[in-house]
Amino acid sequence: MQQLPLGWRWPAQQRFDTFFATGNEATVELLRQLADGSSNGWIFLFGPEGSGRTHLLMATCQAANAQEISAQYLPLAALPAPVDGAIRGFGGSDLLVLDDLDAIAGDAAAEHALFDLYNRCRAEGSTLVFVASAPPAQIGIQLPDLVSRLSSCTQLPLRPLDDAQRREVLRSRAETRGIALDEAVLDFLFSRYARDLGSLGALLDRVDRESLAAKRRVTVPFLRQLLARGDD
Amino acid sequence: MSELWRRCLERLEGEFGAEDIHTYLKPLQPAEGDDGLRLLAPNAYTLERIESEFLPRIRAILGHLAGRPVLVRLEVGTLNSRRAPAARVGRPTAPAASAPEPAVVEFDGNLDPNYTFDSFVEGKSNQLGKAAAIQVATNPGRAYNPLLLYGGTGLGKTHLMHAAGNLIRENNPRTKVMYLRSEQFVSAMIDALRNKNMDEFKRRFREVDALLIDDIQFFAGKNTTQEEFFHTFNALFEGKQQIILTCDKYPKEVENLEPRLKSRLGWGLSVAIEPPDFETRAAILLSKAQAKGMNLPEEVALLIAKRMRSNVRDLEGALNTLAARANFLNRVITLEFAQETLRDLLTVHAQAITVPNIQKTVADFYQLRLQDLLSKRRSRSLARPRQVAMTLSKELTEHSLPEIGEAFGGRDHTTVLHACRTIRDLTETDGKLRQDYEKLVRILTG
Repeated sequence: MQQLPLGWRWPAQQRFDTFFATGNEATVELLRQLADGSSNGWIFLFGPEGSGRTHLLMATCQAANAQEISAQYLPLAALPAPVDGAIRGFGGSDLLVLDDLDAIAGDAAAEHALFDLYNRCRAEGSTLVFVASAPPAQIGIQLPDLVSRLSSCTQLPLRPLDDAQRREVLRSRAETRGIALDEAVLDFLFSRYARDLGSLGALLDRVDRESLAAKRRVTVPFLRQLLARGDD
Repeated sequence: MSELWRRCLERLEGEFGAEDIHTYLKPLQPAEGDDGLRLLAPNAYTLERIESEFLPRIRAILGHLAGRPVLVRLEVGTLNSRRAPAARVGRPTAPAASAPEPAVVEFDGNLDPNYTFDSFVEGKSNQLGKAAAIQVATNPGRAYNPLLLYGGTGLGKTHLMHAAGNLIRENNPRTKVMYLRSEQFVSAMIDALRNKNMDEFKRRFREVDALLIDDIQFFAGKNTTQEEFFHTFNALFEGKQQIILTCDKYPKEVENLEPRLKSRLGWGLSVAIEPPDFETRAAILLSKAQAKGMNLPEEVALLIAKRMRSNVRDLEGALNTLAARANFLNRVITLEFAQETLRDLLTVHAQAITVPNIQKTVADFYQLRLQDLLSKRRSRSLARPRQVAMTLSKELTEHSLPEIGEAFGGRDHTTVLHACRTIRDLTETDGKLRQDYEKLVRILTG
């Protein structure tokens, strides 16, 4: 029997209770209701990158699974070509989360496939959550039938956190892994690296591994070195 | 086996990102197999990806956990879903050899009982369509055949179609009414061809008393489908069975639709469904709010009606959004609350609609110079477009009559009022002017 290597990835922490909901309470609560089955209204969620979209969507799927509601997450930007073929192959879950609608805007075949999926899921009684950077009429979808259907969903904005809130989130995420980030380190990360929590979270994975391997505390010089080496 | 799969998933969660987990791995449902683990994938796409990307790893982990090789079988399927069974589309899922279909079930699955004439809000833009649909439903196969409702998306065509179907069945519960979307007709036909089951397909569609097909513009470019639909159409027509269709534009304007089919479509009655006017939009909002048990103040309905003008689905989305947030925050819906909640949605619709913008767009549309449009000259060729521009300013912006008059070369507010009345009257009698006006609204509200 082959020996399994230990998974290096930090186990998924993308749950509702780890989401910093300030400013987005209503949005989070409605997704939570969808996931626990107390509501089945279709949702169109929009917000810029870095507003915690992925975290919230993973949390929604996770919570739905916990209630024995079958859920599937469909990242439209990450599907293999031809995308319309993949979209036509979808369905069959209680809850479908379609992320990154921007990715198919302008692709007539994919838009049509999504329109068909919409109608199919309506008829089958699935619940859909659509996710994009902006409201339906602003993301460049050409098929009017699709835009109008997306517009009929409950429209939920996801507002990005401000810098102070993001620092707080990053600090507390690091803390759960036993990494202390002081003000100097936080200043450095936010000014020199990135300000969205997606990139910062990925960096934290790396910091976690390397500080453990090097048995070093996380300081600005340590980070400088680590970033200078580029991605491993 | 479920326990084994749970532990396997835990391992997989350490190896793959959360997105892969929720896209491919978590949607799998474990089931006991005779000699191993059956994994049910919700759909064919997921099954293919599992096979190509994840199966070797799944096998390895399962083997490791069980201490012996575990046989894994992948299938498309689902256990205990909370969803209602899929609406039937008159297409057997099993191949040709399956048992005969129970004919009764098939004919009440597809009509939506919520779409009735009572729940349809009537206005100038759709009253003709409603009247025609009622006539057809009262006298199916005799009044107008086919009845074709055409117009943009989200204007109530589907609602009228279901309402007609429901009324037909209400008057005579034994009537077989079949509603389907055009793509369901297409896929039913493809299935029939694949299963060499065309006779059954033909029978299925030809034995109905009324066939309702939605959005036939999607037949465009699909020649085999058009051919088959053409024959179905003829059979129904000759049998005096009712046909009701919808299309996003006048069928003669649909490209890649066969001429002989286009001509058939014009045999009965074609009615345009126009975008609802301001008053109708407000009435729709109030009626839908009431149906949802929402307390929607009239001033909020007027605000939304004023700012969202493209179609009814937008209005519905706005209402859903308001209701959801008011519910969560336990707040009464006020004007301020609505403005705050719908901020992102209302700005889209309000963007760039200013009086100067309207003046420029109208001048371009009629190929006039802007300074002529705003001048004191009163020749007919200038006066009419000027009146159109004034009416658009009144309808599309929040400006008062005196402000609009001022913006049009310092005219009196009574002149603006007169312009609005003139244009309103003319749109009832002058088809060309109405079309121009609607085109301008569409250009401006994009």
